[in-house]
Amino acid sequence: MSEQNIKTFHLQVMSVNGTFYDDDALEIIVPCEDGEMAILYGHEEMILAIYDGILKIKKPDGEWLIGVVSIGSLQVTTDNRCIVIVNTVENPKDIDKRRAQEAYEFAMEHLQQQQSIKEFKKSQAGLARALTRLKAASRYQE
Amino acid sequence: MANIKEIKERINSISDTKKITNAMYLISSTKLRKARKLLGDTEPFFYATKDMIERLVTNLPEGVKNVFLESKEEIPEEKKRRGYIVFTDDKGLAGSYNHNVIRAVEERLLEDKGNYKLYVIGEVGRYHFISRNMPVDQFFMFTSANPTLHRARKISAEIVNDYQERTIDEFYICYTAMKGGTCETRFEKLLPLDFITQLHKETMEDQSFYRDEFLMEPSPSAILDNIVPNYITGFIYGALVEAFCSVQHSRMQAMDSANKNAEMMMESLKRSYNRQRQAMITQEITEVVSGAKALKRSKEAKMKAMKRQEVKR
Repeated sequence: MSEQNIKTFHLQVMSVNGTFYDDDALEIIVPCEDGEMAILYGHEEMILAIYDGILKIKKPDGEWLIGVVSIGSLQVTTDNRCIVIVNTVENPKDIDKRRAQEAYEFAMEHLQQQQSIKEFKKSQAGLARALTRLKAASRYQE
Repeated sequence: MANIKEIKERINSISDTKKITNAMYLISSTKLRKARKLLGDTEPFFYATKDMIERLVTNLPEGVKNVFLESKEEIPEEKKRRGYIVFTDDKGLAGSYNHNVIRAVEERLLEDKGNYKLYVIGEVGRYHFISRNMPVDQFFMFTSANPTLHRARKISAEIVNDYQERTIDEFYICYTAMKGGTCETRFEKLLPLDFITQLHKETMEDQSFYRDEFLMEPSPSAILDNIVPNYITGFIYGALVEAFCSVQHSRMQAMDSANKNAEMMMESLKRSYNRQRQAMITQEITEVVSGAKALKRSKEAKMKAMKRQEVKR
């Protein structure tokens, strides 16, 4: 690996359940509205909205840590700290595949029924969440 | 005076009830400890979220429109549609816990003008308000037992949805929280978030205010839409857990006094039981002794009569 990519920044990932990651990191990739975004050391100050998807953290030893997240936000401050606050974050290993599959089918079924806009949005969000969880579980669970 | 068998039965039934209240006391105390720990875990999240919102709001570029930035002050008091989120329990047996919350809401309803709608958590409160024909959101069905994050998320999704669609202008939250060793009914404003609207107003009015310019992706409004519901979820979860702690605490106290009452009743019942028993024994002895005496006397009388007859012969 090249020289320039060894600097670390402090990263905190937390949800209501508690802190998921609180340590130095080399890189973090977060799901945004229009694709993924990677953040390295020395990024300019910003606040970012995060959507349902997969979060990847590169630890200082080069290993990747994966998390499945739902909506939230990310903040980079000038002192090279990065805080990620999300509604939920879980390890793909903890995802119960069968339950995720059931949630997916449930949301699909609901989407096909006639419903109000409020319900439609709800089942759409549910479907998106179920899909990401399923995808993450099948890709990272072994 | 009741007879001895009745007293015995009464003592038995009280001691059975006491076993139940004692068990409820123990269950409540373990549940309370568990919930306390849960609450502690959420604190870092809560403060970090608040910090981030403040940072975002103070540096918002001009002209950003978002429902969470509106203070709703322009709506006249009589026309405001208010939503009250009320935290009650599913069961009674917790002293005046439910009563206090319901009374606080009813007092508030008398003061506030305008329309209102109730979002009630817990069976006791829902039953109370529905039976009085008050406007309760029919689809808002949540229990208060074992607070989970999942439930807090669902509750906050419902609330934020109603707020964003502008069916409700202001949300208030009424719950019970532990303060030291006592429970306290709290009434707080949830939406619009006062600290956001205040900050927004201050920074917008102050022309000389220096704003840090930094990237906000995809847009400041979208970030607000993402982060504020998270804050609300944290708040609701906190209220759920606090209410749960309080109800367990109230139940512990109620069960404790029930235990004490049962003990007192048992003591006085035992005393009267013993008194009765003693009286019974005394009576029995008296009866036996007097019976024996009577027998002896009649025997003596017979003997005397026989002797007299013998003398005559």
